[in-house]
Amino acid sequence: MDFLIGWIAIIPNYATPLVLASLGLIICERAGILNLGAEGLMAVGAMSAAIAVLSGGNPWAALVAGAASAMALAFLFGMATVVLRADQTLSGLAVVAIGLGVTGVVGRSYVQKTFVGIPNLGDIFALERDTAVARIVAVQDPITLALPVMVGLLWWWLMRSRSGLRLRAVGENPAAADVAGVDVQIVQLGAVLASGLLCGLAGAYLSVATSHVWVEGMVASRGWVAVALVIFARWNPARALVGALVFGSADALVPRLQAVGADIPVYLMMTLPYLLTLLVLVIGSISGRRSGEPAFLGRIYLRQDKH
Amino acid sequence: MTASTNMQRRRKCLVAITAALLASAATGAHAFTLEGPPKVAFIYASSAQDGGWNEALEAGRKAVEEQLQVPVAVTENIPEEATKLRAAIDLYVKRGFNIIVGTTYGYSAPMAEAAKAYPNVAFLSASGTENGPNMESFYARTYQGWYLAGVAAGQATKTKKIGILAGFPVGVVNWDINSFALGARSVDPTIETVAVFTNSWWDPVKEGQVAQAILDQKADVLATNLSATSALDAAEKAGVPAIGFQLDMSHAAPKTIQTSVVFRWEQYLVPTIKEIIDGNWKPEEFGAFEGLDKGVVDLAPLGPSVTEETKAKIETARQAIIAGTLDPFQGPLKKQDGTVVVEAGGKLDDAALWSMDYFVEGITGTMPAKQ
Repeated sequence: MDFLIGWIAIIPNYATPLVLASLGLIICERAGILNLGAEGLMAVGAMSAAIAVLSGGNPWAALVAGAASAMALAFLFGMATVVLRADQTLSGLAVVAIGLGVTGVVGRSYVQKTFVGIPNLGDIFALERDTAVARIVAVQDPITLALPVMVGLLWWWLMRSRSGLRLRAVGENPAAADVAGVDVQIVQLGAVLASGLLCGLAGAYLSVATSHVWVEGMVASRGWVAVALVIFARWNPARALVGALVFGSADALVPRLQAVGADIPVYLMMTLPYLLTLLVLVIGSISGRRSGEPAFLGRIYLRQDKH
Repeated sequence: MTASTNMQRRRKCLVAITAALLASAATGAHAFTLEGPPKVAFIYASSAQDGGWNEALEAGRKAVEEQLQVPVAVTENIPEEATKLRAAIDLYVKRGFNIIVGTTYGYSAPMAEAAKAYPNVAFLSASGTENGPNMESFYARTYQGWYLAGVAAGQATKTKKIGILAGFPVGVVNWDINSFALGARSVDPTIETVAVFTNSWWDPVKEGQVAQAILDQKADVLATNLSATSALDAAEKAGVPAIGFQLDMSHAAPKTIQTSVVFRWEQYLVPTIKEIIDGNWKPEEFGAFEGLDKGVVDLAPLGPSVTEETKAKIETARQAIIAGTLDPFQGPLKKQDGTVVVEAGGKLDDAALWSMDYFVEGITGTMPAKQ
């Protein structure tokens, strides 16, 4: 029972950064811009937020700082892909390289300095940890708590609202959207900035909410997991939440089984999220059903191509 | 993505040293002599100020510069690729540098090549596996420090359950974990040690999460065998005694810190480089592998909650290890499953240490990928 409570309590901690980043990627990619830069955006978010706290800032303000600086990098990506119409795959990889490189240089003197981060609910409300539910709730943080609401709102906006429809139209058929009077570039630029905001928040969550320290490379490929998660979720925010919980619970289970000395294939279990993603891809392509992938994803829209 | 740079964190398959033990021919009996004035260069695979492994070596570099009054150059971010490292070495040699210090396991083989090409240049390779007439690999008997940390943990625990998190299950990590458990059991043989691998060298987020997994098992002492401080942060929050590694981590857990097992590379680098300069350096045939006796491994100052009794016990164990009357891996030594590794009266030799791929009795944990 204790094992179960401990495990359930920690899963949101694993899932939250993945959800935040993949929501950002979903918005961006629904608008037709392939975004492989999550790793770099998260790196910038993690570092900027840590520097903000270490410079005496409030942890909540630090989250904003992390999101804002990742947005600045996303703006560069948007300029390259939307305005200058550069190749999106290469630009995305460049964002990763820039993000990791810049954080290595700028963050140099902030490495390994422990700070006080976002408090959890147990600390904020001085909860008694007497029941199972209280023990699970007490270790959650306000961001995690807000996450289901965020996912719900985003899903509604994307799938049900008029502006969400416009964004999806740009990703499916920009020419048609253009004819209908949608400013394709503005929508795409906005979507790219949103991905910067959410990926930056995801990175900031890692440093300010989870580990309370910054070191170079601490995003540790979570950005790439988010990229995989988007495919797993077939560009649907609700499914991204479910997927992140599945990935997170698998990830959280491995060390916990090790800690009780269970005889488990550790390395095999660690590949589970990726195997699941592959499975979803394979099933998607075999069944012939629409995978959810925006039809114009990764392609460059030029107005004169209108037909 | 970061796996390759992380791999440089010393430890990877140092097991390969067993191969080196067999393969390397006897080194020349002649002392090595430098040509020209001594100039030292340190090459790092990533930032020298990484808050962990590199920073510990960087402290050694500064000591060399200050105490020996020789010019010391530094290059960072040279990847563990033969061509890139060789280009850096070539450039240094051209500029008259004649003592090259490589700081990662991954430099070992290309450094050995360069050592053959430049017989009048001295090469020192941290956590390397290659040795020769002008090249010496060096590492530290970290398990000796971890035994002392285990004594501290054994004294501090009330639940008789302590925990440690580590990177990958390679020899130099396994000996730390095992020695830690044995040190604790020297205090009380009923103590159980929970050991978990994060399967990463450099992921503070995961380290904090794994620390929580260990604390959930009711462990009331938490040690980290990794470079980041997030596990200690978790221990401090839970009010659990904490033990750090590589550098003094007391800043992450000012109240609950017991100690940190630290490298003091200056204790190796300063005398060795002095020998090189003085012309009486003879590289060790199988590499330099120093411990508590030379002070290359040590404990950081003990924390405020460490009792006088514990301090005395640690000191007794330290003196016994230095005197050679105590070896953490002396028999009788049993594996986790009860099979005997060493009978009473025996002890493990260095080759057996490097290839350690098991947990000892008293450890709860899963050893991934058993061969």
